[in-house]
This record gives sequence, structure tokens and C-alpha cells, in this order.
Amino acid sequence: MSATAADALPARPSPLSALVSWRALTILVTAAAVLGPLSLILYQSFLTAPFFDPTKQVGIGAYEFVFADSDFWKALGNSLVISTGMTLIAVPLGAMLAFVMERTDLPGKRWFEPLILVPSFVSPMVLSFGFVVAAGPVGFYTVWWQGLFGDAPWTLYTVPAMTVIAGLTHVPNVYVYASAALKSLGSDVEEAARVAGASPFRVALSVSLPLIMPSLLFSAVLVFFLGFELFGLPLVLGDPEGILVLSTYLYKLTNKLGTPSYHLMAAVAMCIVAITFPLVLLQRYLLQGARKYATIKGKAGRMKELPLGPWAWAAAALLGIFVFVTVIVPVSGIALRAFVTNWGFGVDLSEALTLDSFRFVFHEPTHTRAIWNTVLIGTVGGALTVACYTAIGFASHRRNDGWSRFLDYLVLVPRAVPGLLAGLAFLWVFLFFPPLTPLRTTIFSVWLAYSVVWLAYGMRLISSSLMQVSPELEEAGRSVGASRGVISRRITLPLIRAGLMGSWLLVFMIFEREYSTAVYLLAPGTEVIGAQLVSLWQGGAIDIVAALSLINIILVGIGLAIALRFGVKLRD
Amino acid sequence: MAELTVENLHLTYGTNPILKGVSMVLNRGEVVSLLGPSGSGKTTLLRAVGGLETPHKGTIRIGDKVVFDGDNGFEVPAEARNLGLVFQSYALWPHKTVFENVAFGLKLRKVSSGDIASRVKKALDELSLGHLADRYPHQLSGGQQQRVAIARALVYNPPVILMDEPLSNLDAKLREEARAWLRVLIVEMQLSALVVTHDQAEALAMSDRILLLNNGVIEQEGTPQEMYGNPRTLFTADFMGSNNRLKGRVAQVLDGRALLEGPGGWKLWGRARPGATAGAEGTGMIRLERVRIAEGPGENRVEPELTTSMFLGDKWEHVFHLGDTTLRAHSATHLAKGKHWIELPREDLWVF
Repeated sequence: MSATAADALPARPSPLSALVSWRALTILVTAAAVLGPLSLILYQSFLTAPFFDPTKQVGIGAYEFVFADSDFWKALGNSLVISTGMTLIAVPLGAMLAFVMERTDLPGKRWFEPLILVPSFVSPMVLSFGFVVAAGPVGFYTVWWQGLFGDAPWTLYTVPAMTVIAGLTHVPNVYVYASAALKSLGSDVEEAARVAGASPFRVALSVSLPLIMPSLLFSAVLVFFLGFELFGLPLVLGDPEGILVLSTYLYKLTNKLGTPSYHLMAAVAMCIVAITFPLVLLQRYLLQGARKYATIKGKAGRMKELPLGPWAWAAAALLGIFVFVTVIVPVSGIALRAFVTNWGFGVDLSEALTLDSFRFVFHEPTHTRAIWNTVLIGTVGGALTVACYTAIGFASHRRNDGWSRFLDYLVLVPRAVPGLLAGLAFLWVFLFFPPLTPLRTTIFSVWLAYSVVWLAYGMRLISSSLMQVSPELEEAGRSVGASRGVISRRITLPLIRAGLMGSWLLVFMIFEREYSTAVYLLAPGTEVIGAQLVSLWQGGAIDIVAALSLINIILVGIGLAIALRFGVKLRD
Repeated sequence: MAELTVENLHLTYGTNPILKGVSMVLNRGEVVSLLGPSGSGKTTLLRAVGGLETPHKGTIRIGDKVVFDGDNGFEVPAEARNLGLVFQSYALWPHKTVFENVAFGLKLRKVSSGDIASRVKKALDELSLGHLADRYPHQLSGGQQQRVAIARALVYNPPVILMDEPLSNLDAKLREEARAWLRVLIVEMQLSALVVTHDQAEALAMSDRILLLNNGVIEQEGTPQEMYGNPRTLFTADFMGSNNRLKGRVAQVLDGRALLEGPGGWKLWGRARPGATAGAEGTGMIRLERVRIAEGPGENRVEPELTTSMFLGDKWEHVFHLGDTTLRAHSATHLAKGKHWIELPREDLWVF
């Protein structure tokens, strides 16, 4: 075949300048959204008064005040104890559950997987509230227990109780990493141990779990780090007894001095970030190590599940108790509480049943707006967020330059800023920059804060989709003359469509669940269920909290049901 | 005495039958190879013996102890069968040193730590691994890893050692050395071994007996010499060596001999195999190395056209065409283009 002149013409490249500016714009906007709020906190922490106060001066007075406050040190101590304790509970339990689910022949275990993951999808605020109404001093289960056996042997409003509950509700975080690691671990090394004479339990202890140690170490650091982010749980369970952790200490500072004490809050925020940021960097380092380790393991072959034999009972009991305590108790508590007028000793359940709470919720404009906003931010907002994340993903996809690495670290930064702080920072951004102020009372402010807070999580979803596109498909595009932009739009994007739909669903669930980020942004017009719950809980409106919590659970449940129906992977 | 007895074993994945009634015996001090193409069920049989797959019918006995009985659902778990298994991938535990890898089985058997140290040292020394005890698996070469895997399977003196393609992860040159070394080791240590392989040369070299599996049943079993020199079926003949295959019609069967007539009029006498019937289609089969280049016409000779010659180093391989039939033969010297007489000796040609 002879080449004609037309054949020989190269495909017309799209203007290079347009391409560069598009990528630069993406990076610039991301950097502004991530670093703007954080630098505002940093700046504020070195002022002696709120930034809008004309008498403000630069100085370290805020830090001096905080460090001189004994409550701060108590809160720091509690945070440390709870973080450590919950790590010691969540890691072994999550690892054992992952082994049982991934490797053994426990009957019916597939039905349990979504249940195990439930605590990571239900708002911690809702779960904590569920524990109170189910197992608090006059909770359903407490009252039933007392009716049957006398005094209940548990109490919720203590540091150990908070630690146990925090530990149990963070088991899914360990579980997802441990089970992913086990999936990639070849079964031959386990079979070799069995043939050598090891029982299933021994196989887990001597071979499987040591081999996924890098993943377990990573998830231990993750859970320890999440301990410093806890807000809903210590607010609900610690507050009644005056037990503070760093985040609730910060929250209480809001009203401590009567006037807005932004400088003190900023100083505490910087202290929290000083703890969490190194932990985030450590996680990143460990995650890379865990991936490296994955490549030297045995070959993954046809897998036969380990027969548990007599151990089946122990495994089933472990699984059953975990699901009962961590999921069934709080969720059933909320579901019941939402339908009763009041509850306590001597109340007959059948007489107390009512729909009044829901009637009230649906007649109160702030509550209906909160529900509507929550749905809106999850669906439309979630789609926009995934679109933004995808744009950022393409800005660093298959590029190995300095800007890619900068983006890499940039998306990590919000991870170190707990939602409560991020919400506060965004509140200040909206107040500090007059052009943005009109947006302050719109749901846009909450959406922006959510999107930035979950940037690291979302980028992991997007990049795992992008990584599944084999480089040859894109290189083939280049070889026929397509520019990067055309390849992204015409080849890569259509190929990752399913992954993006899955990401949208996961982002929907995350946004339905989120609460702490919206706490400081709560204003008429920006209500979302999560923040509304915090505010209502402070006001003691238990009936409304129960009804809204149940609605929140149902919203998350719808997302979960769709995800399961379409086989979306519930973990990244 | 039989160390391992398998009777009428059936195993199914879903609705896909993998083993369809396999029976075999492994005697003490014997090396038996399970040979077959991929998908024949050889690895599945080995894993079923090891307790890593569950058959649905049949029995497995180790010594005189039943470890699986499909009739009453009895099954001894893998960890209680006391077998040694060498995995194709070696499956060394990457987080344990060589010493710890080998010691693990002894530790599980509650051997005292002093005894563990001496027995592991002895096992490692026997496999010339003594100096590597403190290394981790990823610090070893492929051949060393293979020996560690063997040491790990041998150290607790299992009555039977199972090996799943033990040489397939080594490169070609190392594989031939390891084959000889493994045979010597097995004979010297008087092991009873069941070895899975897909490589007929490996099976011939290493085994006392070969079980050829095809599609979940045993096609033929026997000593390497029997399997190679006296195949009963076309499949066995075809699998066990490099062959020439001649399609034709069986003209006559007489005293265990058969006359095969081909298109173009060639006539060749050969040994009649079971199933060869006069008047039916037949297939002649002869090993490449049995075909002789002849000087002129004679009994059982044909005159094909030489198509191409390939130099293999120690000999030449020639490709001839006789009508539609391709014939290959070896010779020590180069052959000129054109027609040549070649002889297919009647004792070496099988007619199926």
C-alpha cells in the first residue's frame, strides 16, 4: 500500500497553550481551596484577637492561653488514651474478622460483609446517639436488662466506654485494608502451613496475619489518627460527665469567653493539625511500603476456603457479637426511639408508640430544609464533587513531573484537618474574603467544605479507576495522533465511567454521613441533617434527633442498597 | 507395602467433573509421577491427597489409615494428614527465615527446641543449604528456594512427599541438573514421592512408575520403559515422545501385526495396537528417533521429498513430505535436497 499525501499528514494537535492552562487552572483552584483555609487558621492562631477585630496584634498570646489551660491538657490526655485504646481494640478485631471473612468456610458469611461495613457509613453522631438511647442509663436495652437481671453492668459516660465504642465502630477501617491485603495474598503459603500441620487458627496467627502486617500497621496508624478526629462520640458520651477531648475542647471554646475566641480556636486547631499531619505522612509512607510488600508474596491461585471445623462456632460468635453490639444495638435503639413519645422505667412500649416526631419534623421548615439539603448535597453535590475530583485526577494522570507530585501531597493535606476544623476554616474564609461572603448562607459553602475535606478519599477512588485503564490503550491513542486532552475525553473517560458512577455513590454516602464539617457553617439556608443533629442534641430535643437520625440512616441505607444492587465495591 | 492408596476418586468443581474415578497405589520407596496435559486433573489429584481439595466420591488411605471416605463423608483435614507437600510456587513464608520455614512443622509437632535445631540443621545440610539458614526467601535464588521448600516438606519425616511441578519454576538448564539431583535425593533418602509434572522427559527421568492422566481418568500406567516403548493408546503414544503420525487405512491385521495403507499407495507394516481393525481407518505412529534414513528401496521404506533441514547442534532434523503426510527424522549429517528413502522399522511403528 502506498502512502498518499493525505495519509502522511499528522493528526492536528490541539493547541498546546489551551492544554497547559486547563491543567494549571485545575492545580491553582485545588491549591487555593486546600491551602487558603489552612493558612487562614495558621494566620489567625498568631493573632491576639479575631481577625476582624481592629485591636488585633500579631503574637503568641493565643498559644500561651491554651497551654496554660488545664482543660486543654486533660483533653489532650483523653484524646491520647482513647486513640490508643481504640487502636488496640479495632486492629486485632478487624484483622480476625477479615481473616474469617476472606479465608474460611464460615457459612453465610457473605451476608455479613455489608453489616460489618455499616459503622463506616452511618454518621458517628447518629451511632453515638443510638448507643445512648439503646444502652444509656435509661436506654431500651438497659431497661430490658434491668427488668430481667437487675442492674446493668455497663455505663456509657466514661473514657473506657468511649474507647470501646470508638474501637468497635472503627473496626471497618481496619477490616477493609486487612481483607484487601488478604485478597492479594496467595493461598499457597497458607496451604503450605496447613500441610505442615497448622490448624486454621494457627495459620491465621503464624502466616496470614504476619504477612499482612504492613497493612495492619497502616490501619493501626489510620485508626490512631482517626481517634484525634472523633467529635460526635465524645460530644454525645463525654459531654454529660464533662469529659473533653481535643475536638470537643475546641468546640466548647466557641462560647468559653462569651466573645468569639477565634484566635484560641485557631491555636487549638494548629495543635491538632500538628499531631495529625505527621500521622498522615506516616500513613502515606506505610501505605507505599504495604504495596511494595504485596509483590513478593506467593502466587494467588485457585482458592479453597479453610475449613473451620470446630472453630466455626468461635468465628460465628465473634462475628455475631460484633454486629450485634456495633450495629444492631444502636440502630435498633434509634429506630425504636423515633417512634415513641418518651421512654424510661415503667413505660409500656405499645402505649408510647407515635408518629408525632415525624409529623413535627415534616412541619418544621428548618428540618425539611435540612433533609432536602442533605439529599441535594449527596446527589447533585456528589456528582459535581466527582467531576472536580476527576479533573484533578486527569491533571496528574500518567504524568511524572513536579506538578503531579505537588498535587499528590496537596490532596493529602485536607486529610490532616478534621472536619470540624475544616468547617471552621471555611467559615473564616467566607467571612474574611468579602467577595465570597454572599455564598456563606448558601449550601455552596457546605458543599465546598465537604469536597475539600474528602479530597484525599475521593482522589483514591478516582485514581484507582484511572489506574485500571491499561496504559497501552492510551498509548495507542497517542500513536494514532490524539492529543492528551482528546485521549482523556475520548478514551480514558468513557473507560472509567463505571468507576465514576461507583465513586459518585460512595461520595453520596459519605456526604449523607458527614456532620462535623457543617457544624460551624450551620446557618439558615445551609442546614444539613448532620450539623442539625449536633445543634439539636445540644438543645436536648431527643425525639427530633431520633427522627432525623432515622431519616439519615434511611438515606445512607438507600445508597448502600443501590451500591450492593449494582455491585459497587464498598471499599477502595 | 502401600504408603498411599487412592480408590475410584471423583471430584467436581461446580458441574465440571475434574476427576472421574481415579485409582492408584504408591508403594514405599517408590517415585510415582502424575503426568498429563493441563486440565487432566493431575494437580487436583495431588491436592485431594494432600487434603486441599475435597472429592465427592472414593477413598484415600495413607498407610492403612483412611483419610478420606466419600461414602460416609469422612475427611481428615490437611493439617492432620502428616504429609509433605512441595508447592509449584514453593510457597515459602516470606516473613520467616530459611531456618524458621523448615522449623515450623517441627514446632507444630511440639518437638523440643534443641531437637528442632539439630533436625533442621541436618535437613538443611543434606540439601546443602546449611549456610543459608538465616536468610529470608527473597534473598535466595530459585534453585535454593526450591531446596528450602523440599527441606521444609521432609524435615518431619512424612510417610509420603507430594510434589507439584517441583522443577517448573527453574530455568531450562537448571531444571535438568535439578532433575538428576532430585532423583538421587529421593533414592538415597528412600522417600515415597508422588510428583506432578506436565513434562514427559521429567517424568521418564525421575519416576519408578508413571500415571498418565487424560481428562480425569488414568489413560495408562507403567514403568517409564513401558510407557515409552509400549503405549497401549494413541494418546499415550502421542504424549510420551516426539512422533510421526501417518493417517491411513488398516488393510490387514495378522499375528499382532497390521498393514497400514496410505493415500498415494504407500504400505507399511507395524505392530497392531488394541483397536486396530482391518478395513477401518488407522493411524500409524513412530518415534522420531526410530526413523532411519536409508540408502535405497526396501521393506517398510518410503521415498518422500525433503522439504527443509534444521541444525540442532548434536544432530540434524529433516522435514519430509509424502503426499499430505509430514515426516520428520534425525540424522547425523546434512542431506541434500530432493527425494530420499527412509525406513520406518516394523517393530517401531505402532498402528492404532
